[in-house]
Amino acid sequence: MIQTICLGHVLREAVTTPYRNLVTRPTGAAVRGRIERTMRDSGCHVALLDFSEVELLDLSCADEIVAKLLLLSAFDSDRYVVLWGLHEDQVEAIDHVLNHHRLAVAARTAGSTTLGVLGALDPDGREAFACVADRGPLEAGRVAEALAWAEERAVRTLRALAARRLVRARGEAFHPILVA
Amino acid sequence: MTRIVEIPTSFDDRAMDQFAAAFGTWPADERLLFDARATTWVSPYGFVAMLTAAQAVAEGKGEPPILYLPASEDVRRYWARVGFLRHAPELFEVHGKVPRAATGPSDTLLEVTPIRGSDDVHEVVGRVQEGASRILTELGLEVKATMGFSMALSESCQNIVEHAGTSGWVAVQAYDWRRRIGTRVVVIAVSDAGIGFRRSLEPTQAKRFGDRWSDATALEAAWIQNVSRFRDPGRGQGLAGIKRYLSRWDGKITIRSGTARLANVPHWDREDVPMTEQLPFFPGSQVQVILPAQAPR
Repeated sequence: MIQTICLGHVLREAVTTPYRNLVTRPTGAAVRGRIERTMRDSGCHVALLDFSEVELLDLSCADEIVAKLLLLSAFDSDRYVVLWGLHEDQVEAIDHVLNHHRLAVAARTAGSTTLGVLGALDPDGREAFACVADRGPLEAGRVAEALAWAEERAVRTLRALAARRLVRARGEAFHPILVA
Repeated sequence: MTRIVEIPTSFDDRAMDQFAAAFGTWPADERLLFDARATTWVSPYGFVAMLTAAQAVAEGKGEPPILYLPASEDVRRYWARVGFLRHAPELFEVHGKVPRAATGPSDTLLEVTPIRGSDDVHEVVGRVQEGASRILTELGLEVKATMGFSMALSESCQNIVEHAGTSGWVAVQAYDWRRRIGTRVVVIAVSDAGIGFRRSLEPTQAKRFGDRWSDATALEAAWIQNVSRFRDPGRGQGLAGIKRYLSRWDGKITIRSGTARLANVPHWDREDVPMTEQLPFFPGSQVQVILPAQAPR
């Protein structure tokens, strides 16, 4: 199950401000707390965090919300996070904090039709992620074929992606997060 | 006894050491008199520095300093317009005619504003966002720069909330620096009367530096190594983000804390130096971010 969480709404609930800016660590922590509660209450496996109503995201808030959510979800083997509707400057802020922590997350920017990865991920990981996101559930052999890789390389890369919650492993196949 | 602190005739970041030296020792053992009668111009940095000095006196249980306002009515009107005179009576015994703040178009992006907590940071960032696009576009910066500018403002103000141990002040203004660098600039000035970088980082960093530990090494640790007093590995990214933003838009930052001052030195200000030590002591930390116009107007 996919749960869409509109961060603009969550911000308005968490802070009494007429602005649409996700700034400061206390705000980030309050917003993250609400996201976690929503995920827990809904029992969803995939949280789609929609940033489209957010204007500014500073680094402190990016760290408190996105990086800490990923660090905490690392202990939950069946919980996935996808970012949605990001502006360019939000992409930069999130990419910066995730690289700092050596984390990565699936994300779709505003105006884009494809899912990409923000943060620390090697080129093989990015290629394999794009392949799975584009072509649906695939076994390692199909990914190896599509990317002209040795199968062992595809297996290793896909397992690493699954361990980092960027694809879902089910049996022999690797599924894109959003259609899994 | 009263100690006279002459407010520099033209009070910007370059006159800060002259201002700090006028106090002698901290905390001052005499009542202070800030004499601004001959002052003709004060930058955002000068305004927040004056309030910081008076705040430090108040927090040290000293008698409120006396403030002689500028003799020029135009200058006093300007002080009112940028919001300084709204806050000065809370910290100073003000002498001189206080004009009513003028309204109308101005290059003040943010009046002198106290930062006491996270809500103030929200308010400040929101207010600046509203006017920043217009002014940054005038400076030839892309719309994208507006968001980065607000981010830099947010992270600078949060340093007060997270690290100073007391409240502080911020002001943002655009103005002509034609004589100094030949172009227009927008300036963020942030100051607090708190514990400063050295005391903030001392528990986690002093041992590593040993005898070299000082205001200067504390600034270096924060700016170059992105260290923070918190053990949370996500900390220390605010200054790193500001650094990245300034390098992209050719901006400048100076951070003064205690007796040291750190600066990145952009090509348009080669007269400055990366680190200055053994300056006259001034309480807390003072940060100035300068963003120049990208093309001659």
